[in-house]
Amino acid sequence: MKRHIQLNTHISGKFNQELENLTNSVLTMGGEVEQQLQDAMVSIRENNAKLAERIVLNESRINSMEMQIDDECMRIIAKRNPTAGDLRLIMIISKAATDIERIGDEIQRVVRLVTKDKLPPSELIQSGMLMLAEKIVVMMRGSFDAFARQDEKSAISVYSQDNLIDKKHKELLKQTAAEMSQKDEVIADWFEVLWAIRALERIGDRCKNICEYILYLNYGSEVRHTSMKKTLKKLSK
Amino acid sequence: MLKLFESEIQDIDLLKDDELAVDIKNLSIKLNGKKVLKDISMRIPRHMTTAMIGQSGCGKTTLLNSLNRMNELNQHYSFSGEVWIEGRNVYSKKENVARLRTKVGMVFQRPNPFPMSIYENVCFGLKIQGMSERRKLDDAVEKALRNAALWTEVKDRLFDSALTLSGGQQQRLMIARALALEPEILLLDEPTSALDPLTTLHIEELINDLKKRCTIIIVTHNMQQAARVSDYAAFLHQGELIEYSDSDSLFTMPAKKQTEDYITGRYG
Repeated sequence: MKRHIQLNTHISGKFNQELENLTNSVLTMGGEVEQQLQDAMVSIRENNAKLAERIVLNESRINSMEMQIDDECMRIIAKRNPTAGDLRLIMIISKAATDIERIGDEIQRVVRLVTKDKLPPSELIQSGMLMLAEKIVVMMRGSFDAFARQDEKSAISVYSQDNLIDKKHKELLKQTAAEMSQKDEVIADWFEVLWAIRALERIGDRCKNICEYILYLNYGSEVRHTSMKKTLKKLSK
Repeated sequence: MLKLFESEIQDIDLLKDDELAVDIKNLSIKLNGKKVLKDISMRIPRHMTTAMIGQSGCGKTTLLNSLNRMNELNQHYSFSGEVWIEGRNVYSKKENVARLRTKVGMVFQRPNPFPMSIYENVCFGLKIQGMSERRKLDDAVEKALRNAALWTEVKDRLFDSALTLSGGQQQRLMIARALALEPEILLLDEPTSALDPLTTLHIEELINDLKKRCTIIIVTHNMQQAARVSDYAAFLHQGELIEYSDSDSLFTMPAKKQTEDYITGRYG
């Protein structure tokens, strides 16, 4: 059964405010990471080491946000004893903050290509990576929008985009393997490229996790480690 | 670093003297020959809610009563130490106790309205103080009832008996009666223990509102309530102040093991 969580209907106005601030803080963190990914794409496209270094430095800001959100979740749990939807909301916010922080880590792995001067020695692979990253930005934005509106329809639609990301990831790996066999004199350089491609795919998985949290929030039913088909069947009950 | 959450709560050690409503210095109290408070020192900030928690008989209510000298009603009472409220030592010989009790209002566990009208209950203290002009009394009653979030419910029946009100309304009436005297400090001794959970939440919301006007000190057995309403919290055990800090720290990372054992239900 679907239950929409209304943040501003508690008797305690302070509790309403705390939950609203907590939700907004995750979205602020999400916005920050989305900007990081877009900057990462620019730094790869332009081989801009300065921008890449700035992205690496900014990572500590994202780490700090995760810790602040976790502290606030713990404080609210200890002081407010939240139950039902409020408890689910706080739990998923803490988990989403972890996923967003990991997205930040993955972006760092991607920009290492620029900071270590290990961009793919192939135009084809580089443009393939950027195309994959563009799709991931769309997915990431969708997952944050769905989170902001607690909208399970958008969450399901974004969730299913991960299949496309996985497909593109596999294609890109095949192309990379083919290029590697032709340019095997620089094989060590390809390792960083493979890590970066893998990191991009992992970002898609993290966005998928966020969509699962939204479904858990609205339905109170666990959908992790379940196929989309089974998830939809479960939620329709 | 970007700060995502702002807090107005300062560390207790960083509070300046002019930010304090109450400064308790080395207070010890004996009742009927038994030492019930042992060398308590506490700095209670102004316009904040401070909660006292601890087992029955740990001295919470005695400490609360010591702030407006209610303990003196017990004949077998002795004390040492000082209690400073807004720059005055309330235990000095010059202190006017009646004045002190108007400045330090109190609301008890069970609502105890006088068997008279709602209006008379609220203006009872003001009349004793000599206020008799009808218009002034009307204004004071309306203001106190509004501040106690009771005005809209009783404005059309101000002259009905206070005993016709529900338990939650009676308790808010008691808060209005205390507020009519415009206290600097409001002492709440288990104010919601006789009320249902929803009414309790309404009173807690009222407490949160009231701290803009006065300093609130609340004694409660309900730890969740202490966590919800308080900005600062003190844990007492057998007359000793075990821990006193901002309640965010006390309820998430208490400094003393004894406090942790009590708030997590491991005590005794």
